[in-house]
Amino acid sequence: MVREHAMATKAPRALFVPFPFGSALGKPNDPILQHRVLSASLALFEHQAGPVLEDFPEEESPGPLLQASAVRRRDNAVLSDPADEVTALRGCYERWVEEHNGRTAVGLCGIPQRRWRGVIRFLEAYAHGEESDMKERLETVSIPQFVRYCIDDLKAFYYEARMVQQPKATAEDLHAWFWGETALGQLIPTVAQRMHAADDPTLKAVAYGIAR
Amino acid sequence: MPRLETLSEVARQVLVTFPCLVHETAPWTPLHKPLAQSTLALVTTAGLHRRGDVPFITDPRGGDASFRIIPAATSAGDILQSHASIGFDHTAFYNDINVTFPIDRLRELQERGVIGQLASDAYSFMGAIRNPRRLQEETGPEVARQLKAAGVDAVLLTPT
Repeated sequence: MVREHAMATKAPRALFVPFPFGSALGKPNDPILQHRVLSASLALFEHQAGPVLEDFPEEESPGPLLQASAVRRRDNAVLSDPADEVTALRGCYERWVEEHNGRTAVGLCGIPQRRWRGVIRFLEAYAHGEESDMKERLETVSIPQFVRYCIDDLKAFYYEARMVQQPKATAEDLHAWFWGETALGQLIPTVAQRMHAADDPTLKAVAYGIAR
Repeated sequence: MPRLETLSEVARQVLVTFPCLVHETAPWTPLHKPLAQSTLALVTTAGLHRRGDVPFITDPRGGDASFRIIPAATSAGDILQSHASIGFDHTAFYNDINVTFPIDRLRELQERGVIGQLASDAYSFMGAIRNPRRLQEETGPEVARQLKAAGVDAVLLTPT
């Protein structure tokens, strides 16, 4: 959503916050800024007539959101097998979970991490056009959606582990590392390519949401 | 909600051509009592849900218009994001759920007496819905009914 959308829909009370998408409250781990945003939002209730569209006076300009297609691969820096990468990153990931009181963004696919080497093999087989599946997939979840949940979990696992390794890394650093230096960052676009090649709008839509 | 001029040309075109609803009027409803005596509910379009809930899906027919209920007492560690878009930086959410779902901040406002009460349930939708018909006719009104039944006076909606 952007300011122009708020104007078109005539939301009764809207605060335009010039922050990156996904960060309506400004910045992570900045409760003071988040409270300023909330205070400005709740102040909209003081207006007696509307619609009201006000601008929050502070700005966090979005940095470049690096997608896979914009990152040059540095293949000399990667383990060649993403399954080995998962194993190598597990210690850092566990530190992340411990340092964040058990909080992790991993958990969509429902597969325990001891089976993640199997998830990698499943994704590799899928990327190569083979008929592949995992017994943990619920019948109500289609294979393409399941692929996305597996990939979203793996991304969260990698990023959380990397933020332990490089706590001062910017978001741009993290995306450049993931897409440019990891074996998983090389595998995911091949999964997306298989989906794009199919004449199926669902597959194309899922592909657009896993790698661009 | 970045400024259009700060985005890449591709991203800008996606937003400019997004089939956004255009309304002539706004449904203005005054808040009839002070916030400090009101019940406030948190609603988001960040594609969040509890761990173990059915995740949101990628639906090429216009988006997933379903919703999930997140009890306000749910710990941050039990809330996941299955938003289908990679058009935003997910690392902010990895670091702090409050950047899109300010549940801790609202609890603090409740403790300070700024808001009377935080509603017992929050509601979550997926964003980027290109065909809002089901949202307008079914799931949106259903959430409104549930909010009214719970005695909610005001809603804070956080988009992605």
